[in-house]
Amino acid sequence: MSNVLRPYLAAVRSTLTAALTLENFSSQVVERHNKPEVETGGSKEVLLNPLIISRNENERVLIEPSVNSIRLSIKIKQADEIERILCHKFTRFMMQRAESFIVLRRKPVPGYDISFLITNTHSETMLKHKIVDFIIQFMEEVDKEISEMKLSLNARARIVAESYLTAVRSNHCFKVNILLIS
Amino acid sequence: MDVNFRKIDIDAFDEEILQESELYEQDPRDPAQALDEMKQIQGAVRSCLAKNDTVGALSAVLEHAPYGPTMEDAKIVSLQALMTILNSTKATEIPAAVKSLSQDSQDTLMKYLYKGMAMTGSADTNASVLLTWHEKLTEVAGTGCIVRTMTDRRTV
Amino acid sequence: MAPQVFSIAQTPITAHAFSADRSQVAVSLNSNDIQVLSYTGSDWTATETLSEHDKIITSIDWAPTSNRIVTASQDRNAYVWQQTPDPETGKVVWKPTLVLLRINRAATHVRWSPKEDKFAVASGARAIAICSFDPENNWWVSKLLKKPIRSTVLAIDWHPNNVLLAAGSADMKARVFSAYIKEVDEKPSPTVWGSKLPFNTVCGEYASPAGGWVHSVGFSPSGDVLAFTGHDSTINVVYPGGPTVHIIRMSTLPLITLAWTSEQTIVAAGHDCQPLVFGGSEAGWQEMGTLDDGSHGGSSGPRSGPGRLNTGAFQAFKNADSRGQGATSGDTKLNTVHQNTITSVRPYQYGSAGEVSSVSTSGVDGNLVLWDANSVTAITGRMAGMSM
Repeated sequence: MSNVLRPYLAAVRSTLTAALTLENFSSQVVERHNKPEVETGGSKEVLLNPLIISRNENERVLIEPSVNSIRLSIKIKQADEIERILCHKFTRFMMQRAESFIVLRRKPVPGYDISFLITNTHSETMLKHKIVDFIIQFMEEVDKEISEMKLSLNARARIVAESYLTAVRSNHCFKVNILLIS
Repeated sequence: MDVNFRKIDIDAFDEEILQESELYEQDPRDPAQALDEMKQIQGAVRSCLAKNDTVGALSAVLEHAPYGPTMEDAKIVSLQALMTILNSTKATEIPAAVKSLSQDSQDTLMKYLYKGMAMTGSADTNASVLLTWHEKLTEVAGTGCIVRTMTDRRTV
Repeated sequence: MAPQVFSIAQTPITAHAFSADRSQVAVSLNSNDIQVLSYTGSDWTATETLSEHDKIITSIDWAPTSNRIVTASQDRNAYVWQQTPDPETGKVVWKPTLVLLRINRAATHVRWSPKEDKFAVASGARAIAICSFDPENNWWVSKLLKKPIRSTVLAIDWHPNNVLLAAGSADMKARVFSAYIKEVDEKPSPTVWGSKLPFNTVCGEYASPAGGWVHSVGFSPSGDVLAFTGHDSTINVVYPGGPTVHIIRMSTLPLITLAWTSEQTIVAAGHDCQPLVFGGSEAGWQEMGTLDDGSHGGSSGPRSGPGRLNTGAFQAFKNADSRGQGATSGDTKLNTVHQNTITSVRPYQYGSAGEVSSVSTSGVDGNLVLWDANSVTAITGRMAGMSM
């Protein structure tokens, strides 16, 4: 893990630990309802200041805490068009299966690529520090995953190009070599 | 038929609802006055830094930090002043500087660090410097300090 | 004395209340029912289930002399339970009486007054219902404390004089009210909080400088001092004379419950998973240490709650970072006795001088723990523990 990443993840970890101080809180707006306050936004006083942790302009985490739920949104690094497409496919794949991830939100918050919604029920049924570990591990893995996918995509493109162009190699040997190098 | 009335947020008309502005006491200073004050402090910060007095420079900004929605101009000046200090402090000097701040100032510094990170890409905020400071400050002041940044409505 | 740990359930314990002789305990396991458990020499076994509420139960209190249980729930109701012989079988069972609370949001906290002739129910309806028994109609009637509460009331505590009530709410204020009911109370003698006390007099309003919901409030045994804990990780002690307010800022996660053990000491606990002890006087207050010395929890070594960023899992992460070891072998246990947030701390036993000698805590991890209130361990090596 690179050195720049470490303080970034450490900051996310400590902020998330501080935000995961949830309790069961019944709505004071609607009778007999008990909904994540960060989503309903009905009462201002039970929402806390949202915090942003950023590594650079393209990578940041938004944490919106409230009395019974927190929303954590991640903006994943996307350096070029391929990474942008891969990231979109990857997050979409997971968000369509959000129920298997339990804490994943089906839609990201505008400006971010993927969002998590953690409620008091989650922090009651799961160990709090393990939820934090999960998020941090996710953040580590997602960058790795996308760059691996990018590598394998490029490799595959190369193989395709190679086998496709073998037929015409005799004539255009020089050109193909140029293509493979690029 | 006009159906726009269905989109009206009726809860906003509840008289008992608590408004954001009622949750904290306003900064007693007038925005213009606070801006002047921050500009003076900016000068003071420069002279402190010239003398290599990081703690003095930090407390000068942190003890007079403007807050509230009317103070936008003063807030920007104070953030700039603070960023000059943060950028010019060597990483090895951070722990000592953070430790010698009062608890109030530590809490305010934490607010500025998050504000700086929220504004990455603009002005002279440098994310890696902010992250280093954040790490050192959390070591000294703990998660409690972050919790207070979340709860305190007097945002900088 | 080492803390006695009883693993009651795998689910959170939302509230617990002991009977006067401590042989029984009423708990709510994050559900709509109350379990009454009896002590069988080594463990607690369920003897009765009280079900009447139809939403999650938020608070329980057991009156020691009149032996009545009062429960509050998010279904907006409160019930008073009394032991009566069943007309058919002759067996003694707990019978509920509905209380006319007149609130339209969740009831969040309930406490009997010291004389047990009244109880107070905090609610999300921005009100506190003060309930007293109406013998003519044979039911409990309520009177609402409304002004100037602006948000959900999270915690309440009675003053020993049976009239004053402290309340902490989500509008970031701790307040002291008069809950004087003409029909029930004798005229109270003047206290440090005021002398003329008609119903709904606000005797004091306090807030922590960094804001934060007030999670718990408590009067000292004499009733002359008020302590409250806020979500900004502070504990505040108020002497109303000045008024002097002592604020202790903590470096860990917020405290959500507190109990006075003597006029000079408080035990408080919360998201840091361990009961902390605070001590002081009008001159000043400070953190004395913890009741959890770290030798009884999951693993040995320096005790650290999740707020201290030095958990086993964190260590694994650190190893993965600095030495490239996999984070898969991470320790899942915290080395505190409670494995999750402590939601309630209450006095358990009293010493000869009237001070609390042991306290009970229950938490989200489903454990009920009895602690010796005097075996305080100083928090040492905190800085070492915090270093990354």
